Amino acid sequence: MKCLRVLALAGVTALGVWVWIALHPSPEKLILNQLAGAAHAVSFGPGEGYLAKLTGAQRVGKFFSTNVEVQIDVPGHHEHRLAGRSEIQQAALAARASLKGLSVTLPDVTVIVNADGESAVADLALEARVAGETDMMVQEMKFALRKIDGRWLIVKVETVRTLSQ
Amino acid sequence: MAPTYADGSFNFVNRLAYLRHEPRRGDVVGVRLTPPHGLSAPHIMFLKRVIGLPGEAISFVDGRARINGQPLLEPYEKGRCDWNRDPVTLGPDEYYVVGDNRTMPRPDQTFGQVKRSRIVGKALL
Repeated sequence: MKCLRVLALAGVTALGVWVWIALHPSPEKLILNQLAGAAHAVSFGPGEGYLAKLTGAQRVGKFFSTNVEVQIDVPGHHEHRLAGRSEIQQAALAARASLKGLSVTLPDVTVIVNADGESAVADLALEARVAGETDMMVQEMKFALRKIDGRWLIVKVETVRTLSQ
Repeated sequence: MAPTYADGSFNFVNRLAYLRHEPRRGDVVGVRLTPPHGLSAPHIMFLKRVIGLPGEAISFVDGRARINGQPLLEPYEKGRCDWNRDPVTLGPDEYYVVGDNRTMPRPDQTFGQVKRSRIVGKALL
């Protein structure tokens, strides 16, 4: 009987810990969810109507701060810089208008939350597949995030040259 | 690493290959895109060939790789290129890696110095 009580107590404790963790996710977990959400928002399938393109592009902006800076420098392409959430949304709309489809995933994400608990850096690999193209694009990237009004928003995006020359 | 390895293909990398010795010239290695963190294994890697070892000076003259000024014999190289690059001296924990297909324009190539910590292992087959 005593053994059953101990087991029941252990079970209740484990359940309590699980519920606590589920209700209070770590900043790393929140950031991983936010980045996965951003990758999902950037991705789109073929056959989107104009309204879907517009709302999809608007949704992308929700993951970025209003003064976000984006610097893309990929070998073989011109350097691109975007400043501000509205430019991100315009770029997302332009991509939706010019490409048949885009699938973005972010494997190998490493999140480091700074000591202040309000800012973080994520190193990650970005994998992008454009519909109709056989080659996929893989790029190392660094994201800076900041907790703004209780949400982790992307404040800076930059490409990283994995191999220095 | 085309044509030795096809783009986007699945390949095996032996993570134990460099437990007893360091990468050697000519090895095809898996290079992780993201900095190492804990014990997690990366899902995506570059496959590149090691041509320069720590402390060496690597340069390209008319498409030929040179190690400390001496031409490097590369039987695996596919297609000539016209690259010219001034010598780069590698640090004590740096290797110089490059793909086998040098016919691509140099700006499109991903090659250069890589820290030892980013080399995951040796490609199999």
